[in-house]
Amino acid sequence: MTVQLAREKWQGAISAVTIGATKEDGGSRSSAIKIGGEESLPCLFSEGAITNKPRVAFEVWDVPPADWPKELSKEFSNSLNDPFIWAGKCIKDYNAELICLRLQGAHPDYQDKSPEEEAAFIKEFIRSVNLPLIILGCGDDAKDNLLLPACSEAARGERCLIGNATQENYKAIAASAMADGHSIIAESPIDVNIAKQLNILICDTGLPLERIVIDPTIGALGYGLEYAYSIMERARLAALSGDKTLASPFICFVGQEAWRAKEAKSGEPNQGVMWEVITAASLIQAGADLLVMRHPVAAEKSSKFIDKLFYKKQ
Amino acid sequence: MNRYKVTFYPDNKVVEVAEGTTILSAAISCGVYINSPCGGDGVCGKCKVMVMDKEGKGRLSLACASRIHQDLRVDVPLESRMELGPEIKNAAFESQKAEFKPVDSSGLGFKRDPLSKKLYLDLKGLAAGDTLSDLDRLCCAVSKASGISSVQVNLFNIRYLGELLRGCGWKVTVTLAKKNNGFEIILIEPQDNSANNFGLSFDIGTTTISGQLINLNKGVILGSRIAYNSQAIFGADVITRIIYSGKEGGLEKLHNLVSVAMNQMIKELVEGCRVSLNDITSIVCSGNTTMIHLLLKINPAYIRIDPYLPVANSIPPLRASEAGININPRGLLYCVPGVASYVGGDITAGILSSRLYKMKDLSLLIDIGTNGEVALGNEEFIVASAASAGPAFEGSGLTCGMRASTGAIESVKIKPDGFSVSYSVIGNVKPGGICGSGYISLLSGMISSGIIDKSGKIAGMANKRLRASDRGREFIVAFGAETNTGEDIVITEADIENLKRAKAAVYSALSVLIRHMNFKIEDIRNIFIAGGFGTSLDIDSAVRIGLLPDLEREKFSFIGNSALAGAREVLLSSQAHDEAEEIARKVTYFELSNDSAYMDEYMAALFFPHTDLSRFQSFKG
Repeated sequence: MTVQLAREKWQGAISAVTIGATKEDGGSRSSAIKIGGEESLPCLFSEGAITNKPRVAFEVWDVPPADWPKELSKEFSNSLNDPFIWAGKCIKDYNAELICLRLQGAHPDYQDKSPEEEAAFIKEFIRSVNLPLIILGCGDDAKDNLLLPACSEAARGERCLIGNATQENYKAIAASAMADGHSIIAESPIDVNIAKQLNILICDTGLPLERIVIDPTIGALGYGLEYAYSIMERARLAALSGDKTLASPFICFVGQEAWRAKEAKSGEPNQGVMWEVITAASLIQAGADLLVMRHPVAAEKSSKFIDKLFYKKQ
Repeated sequence: MNRYKVTFYPDNKVVEVAEGTTILSAAISCGVYINSPCGGDGVCGKCKVMVMDKEGKGRLSLACASRIHQDLRVDVPLESRMELGPEIKNAAFESQKAEFKPVDSSGLGFKRDPLSKKLYLDLKGLAAGDTLSDLDRLCCAVSKASGISSVQVNLFNIRYLGELLRGCGWKVTVTLAKKNNGFEIILIEPQDNSANNFGLSFDIGTTTISGQLINLNKGVILGSRIAYNSQAIFGADVITRIIYSGKEGGLEKLHNLVSVAMNQMIKELVEGCRVSLNDITSIVCSGNTTMIHLLLKINPAYIRIDPYLPVANSIPPLRASEAGININPRGLLYCVPGVASYVGGDITAGILSSRLYKMKDLSLLIDIGTNGEVALGNEEFIVASAASAGPAFEGSGLTCGMRASTGAIESVKIKPDGFSVSYSVIGNVKPGGICGSGYISLLSGMISSGIIDKSGKIAGMANKRLRASDRGREFIVAFGAETNTGEDIVITEADIENLKRAKAAVYSALSVLIRHMNFKIEDIRNIFIAGGFGTSLDIDSAVRIGLLPDLEREKFSFIGNSALAGAREVLLSSQAHDEAEEIARKVTYFELSNDSAYMDEYMAALFFPHTDLSRFQSFKG
């Protein structure tokens, strides 16, 4: 007797979001990376097409990070002091294909750099680094409202992914991303309802759903990972069942969360790297499409893991 | 200790109080009503009064936080007063008139058979050889005249029966009242007084008390009265009242406030209708469980303590005088039985008067008040839930909120071009605030015209009606020049948040209840909406903000104050009384706080109209 495996038939699909515009698309990136587009849960290739594998982005800051644990910063040695060298190292030494640029220097508590200053920096960065870009604000709502539109304009035509838009602060970001041809990251606090509401609110401004990536907010291993996992799973199940307003790819800030863990910062060799890798590996199975990582070794290991897991398509 | 005189205007009442007394306590002690939904905790800001100096200049102060250190003149502005204009009185009773049909007229009506009835009996004196005792003779005559064979009689009436019968030539009027599945002779009067038999029906709401005087022989309403429940001085919702009742003398005070208010209404009714108080033989009250406890001076403390049990859901008929209610001292007081702590006799009465329990099709009753109660069912089953919506729809706890009384903005229209606003005000006076139905139409208009987004955030665009204040962003509905107080009437983001929570509580209660019973919202055929603002509620706006489900508008019907209508039907029909008891037994109480889905539903409903837009197809996009 043969056993018939139960197969789920999904009605919905996750929208595919492209990051980076090449010359043909009017930009200057060396490649364009597509994420999302799944018609099935992660790795269930038999239930629906999974055209794009999850991707890893390397996090680079405009200013030297003050509070990164030694275990993490020593890998980059002096390159952390210069974003151009930092990004170059990621590309040359670790084959980065996506850079996530965090404009921490604009934060009022950091260096309070002006939007004009940061916009000039973005222009410079685009000239010297030709990978597809994710551009993050400094996390201060009032500042980001001025900063991100300026940076969006500076990167016009490069089809970047810009974030983060929150429920309190989405209008200016959505409007400028729409005008300059970018996509945006919609951040919700581990809450399916708010994720959905924010997508609806952003759509109401005129930016199509196909240009939104959800940041569901995650916790690292031991710090709420399973909570984040189940929220992502719930959202993904709803999306595949036909709820278009949740059918956006996920971006997960794995590096940021993993290196906040006490265990990662303990100084124990390798522990931080593994903390980041395991957090990433778990979230990939929850449906993560884009992982922003900090430690190059962790990023490398995660990429390998992805290649093994998603052998079917690729 | 020094004592000072305080004069309250416009009531023109003077009271002498000890130094240091708050203006609010002084007002309470001389019977001047000042709104204080928080019960004098100094947090709600609703008890604003004008303290006048010698030159006649006023200073706006909070009555609960201002202590008296000299003789004072205090003006209580309209927005802080309990003002019930004729319009709202009419509005509240207009629906009652419409829904009032003679009880035995239609197929769905009840047989007219009031809870207390009068029989004129001529016992024809003593004949030679009579061996029957006076009481037996009376009982035989009652049985012959009414078919009721066993009646209860109390000692009070037996004691003076002999003199009474002989003194009036054996011609008496007997009042029979339904009690414990039988009847009691509550009253024996000399001669024929059977034409004068009256009863009262009351709805004791957390905010409003309504009462009607009814001719029991004819089944006609003779008069109606509506008054605020002055217990509101000690808190706007049942929980604060229960807490207050636990303070020393608190229960006594709350009981007195409601009984005094009812007695005043009864007095006005009998005087206005030229009826003798002695001819009122029964009274039926409906109210939520807490209100009934307070009316009967029963300690309600256990209602708010896990496992949330009331002392009694179903109260047997009792002497109205025992509860301090002034009708005929022998007259009986009936309470419409409740289901549970948070689903009281008002809902039983609502189910009765809406006929939900006789519907073949699935029907829903929504009573929108401080507690939003929802009942779902048909002739086969009924489940009911209560959700704590908070007093927002009654105008409480909002920056410019007020009750649906004179001076309240009751509906608002906003034009998308430049946001020009037009509104209508109860009583056609200058507005003093916004009431529940006003907020619903205001929110709906703000969503449609893009002033707020679907999460309730006010847009950042430049407009003379939009501004940022220390309370956050706000929208000006009426400028100071148009208003009663001279201050702008505004709605703030915090108000919107408050209203959003209230509507989410009601909507999620009904949606969880429906899903719990394995139905879909579309399965519902009839929706009855009850509550104080039912007459002026715009359904489309209520659906637009997600308070009510998006169903064909013809499925909705307003039934006004269904609790009062139900109480009246019970009063007029023994059959309705029995059916009310059956309803109370039949209704299954569904505790939402035990259902994990409720919180999820509630969170999803915190959006205009709802996070799941597919449920509100009328407003998609």
